[in-house]
Amino acid sequence: MKKKVLLVDDEKSFTSLLKMNLEQTGRYEVRAENWAEDALSAAREFRPDIMLLDIIMPRMPGGNVVAQFSSDPELKDLPIVFLTAAIQRSTVAAHDGIICDHPCLAKPASVNEIIEMIEKHAVSTT
Amino acid sequence: MNVLIVEDSRMDSVLLARMLSVGFPGAHVQQIRSLAEAEALAAKEYFDVIICDLHLPDSEGLSSFTRLRAAAPRSATLVISGTNDHDLAVEAVREGAQDYLVKGKFDALELRHSIRYAMERHRLQLALQRSERHYRRLLEAITDYIYRVSVRDGRAAQTEHSPTCIAVTGYTPEDYQTDTELWLRMVHPEDQADVVQQAERAARGEAVPPIEHRILHRDGSLRWVRNTVVPHFNEGGELLGYDGLIRDISARKLAEEQLVRSEAFYHSLVETLPQHILRKDLNERFTFANQRFCQLVGKRLSDLVGRTDFDFYDSNLARKYQADDRFVIKSGQTLETTEENQAPGGEKRYVNVIKTPIHDARGRVIGIQGIFWDITEKKRAEEQLRHANEELRRSHEELKSAQLQLTQAAKMESIGTLAAGVAHEVKNPLATLTMGLNYLERNVSAADENIALVLHEMREAIGRADKVTRGLLDFASSRQMDVRRENLNNILEQTLVLLRHKLNEQHIELITHFARDLPDVSVERSQIQQVFVNVLMNVLHALESGGTVTITTSSERLSRSLHSEGSRTSRQIFVGNTVVSTCIEDSGPGIPEENLAKIFDPFFTTKPTGVGTGLGLPVSKKIVELHGGAIEVSNRREGGVRVVIMLPAERPL
Repeated sequence: MKKKVLLVDDEKSFTSLLKMNLEQTGRYEVRAENWAEDALSAAREFRPDIMLLDIIMPRMPGGNVVAQFSSDPELKDLPIVFLTAAIQRSTVAAHDGIICDHPCLAKPASVNEIIEMIEKHAVSTT
Repeated sequence: MNVLIVEDSRMDSVLLARMLSVGFPGAHVQQIRSLAEAEALAAKEYFDVIICDLHLPDSEGLSSFTRLRAAAPRSATLVISGTNDHDLAVEAVREGAQDYLVKGKFDALELRHSIRYAMERHRLQLALQRSERHYRRLLEAITDYIYRVSVRDGRAAQTEHSPTCIAVTGYTPEDYQTDTELWLRMVHPEDQADVVQQAERAARGEAVPPIEHRILHRDGSLRWVRNTVVPHFNEGGELLGYDGLIRDISARKLAEEQLVRSEAFYHSLVETLPQHILRKDLNERFTFANQRFCQLVGKRLSDLVGRTDFDFYDSNLARKYQADDRFVIKSGQTLETTEENQAPGGEKRYVNVIKTPIHDARGRVIGIQGIFWDITEKKRAEEQLRHANEELRRSHEELKSAQLQLTQAAKMESIGTLAAGVAHEVKNPLATLTMGLNYLERNVSAADENIALVLHEMREAIGRADKVTRGLLDFASSRQMDVRRENLNNILEQTLVLLRHKLNEQHIELITHFARDLPDVSVERSQIQQVFVNVLMNVLHALESGGTVTITTSSERLSRSLHSEGSRTSRQIFVGNTVVSTCIEDSGPGIPEENLAKIFDPFFTTKPTGVGTGLGLPVSKKIVELHGGAIEVSNRREGGVRVVIMLPAERPL
């Protein structure tokens, strides 16, 4: 059963390549959104098992997305992993990998590291 | 006897000469025919007699005669004229000719008489002139005369004046005889009362002191005389009369008046000038001081004269003053200087002094004159100005330094913001590149050597870019730190454990001197470790072919202030605080002078590309300063580099 990954990041070239990499493993189904305001509706529709969320985005930052999801009864328990260039690896490590109550992975990260995160935190919603 | 005949007619001349030889055998006679020649000859030779015709070819009438007389004043002159020249001849006699002869009307005997008479008269005239000149000189030198008054019944009865009264008053004794009031009238109106009183008292037989009064000389000029009266008595004690001695003292009086005027002028000058003026003799004794100076030392002038500086001033000051005086006296030079002056009972003042030597009429130095005035206020104002300037300069320096720090801090902050932005913008593309690389690695056949190489280089490059942005963020950040009490010796030992194999690899000898009882420091362990690692990595690079590294820890009281720009932490170390120092020294080549200033500049590195980011020391400095400490890098005298890291010590628990 493929895991469903919702990818929210404003960098289009990043999301298309990551989607390509993940789907090539055959284990994942990936939906990429490049605008933060589309995340909520996409999630309701796509029903992902995990969301990889960038923090610094134009028009609406990642933090607002988290707020939206946590006030949605259906989506409040969806695992969210921050995937961001805004924080240093060392800082993440110093906080045991948790930033603002959510697991975090500092960019640039390799596909394998991202897959590790997905496997660790995704839950089946079916 | 020498005779000169000036006659243009040959015949008359010969005739004269012959007659002369009869009257004066042996006389030496010269005959000249023109006036000009006669003048020239008379100027050279002496003639007892000159006989001159009034009609000569080169002159006419009286002029010929007067010119000749001027040329030979000591010769007796006779003129010869024709019968028609009677008036002219008489005039010639009036002009000084002794006689005149009419041609054809005299013979040798008459000529002889005439010449004899002329010579005698001329001699007498010369004698008279000499006598007159002598008399006149005498007269001019006479300044005294005596008058005698005979007294009867207590009143002046008769007066006699000595002849020299004429020299003093211009009047003759006869003038006084005939004009009995002249003796009083000649006295200046203002002085007449005194003179009358003197005369009356003398007539009564009283002893009268001499008086000085003015008289009007006959020629109208004013003279001063001294009038001394001496009564004389007969054997019975009865007053016979009195003698008066009148002495012309005009010259003296004039000089006196000039002196008084000059003295008054000098006195007013000296007393009204706003300076202190004094004079001393060659023995350093005061001979004069103006009132201002007298007031300053609190003595009357009479108490001051004859004393020395030691009587008024402190002995050190007095010695100085006298030494200056002696210099002026000896060198004859003017001394101009600023010095202290503390009058008795007064406060210390500063004065400008000018001392000059005083000369007598013969030019010898006979003392010194000093003039000085108070410049204390001016000096104080100057000093205050100097102080104010100094204060201003110092505060200006402090301001500049503060501004520099502020500018640096501001710069650092904007750099931080910039760095964060840049890093973020760079890391996103890097993330994309990483994804792309991952894809290629999985999907492209690595059998091809070139493809494998390309993928490898790409991975390396992405890694480097990532490292640089990380380093940049480290350098620019001022994030919160998790500080704890730590012992630096422990941290160092841990760091050395990490690097020991590298040290061995490069055959580097490690010497450590860790102080016992090293005070704790408050640090974030990982950050301080990063600092040590950065420094030791530099050491490893410097000692590529081996060497020695010495690490010493110690604690001491800071005795000098440390530079710390851009640091806005609350923690700072000041002079007097205790610091924990870590000193890392290597035996490498040292840092070239021109690079020493740049080592803390971001991205400055001497290592090959890719090996060093040039961020190690800047980041270390940032970390150390965030901890309130300081880092100093210098070249050792023995060669190699010394890095000293200082951190504020914690008080013992």
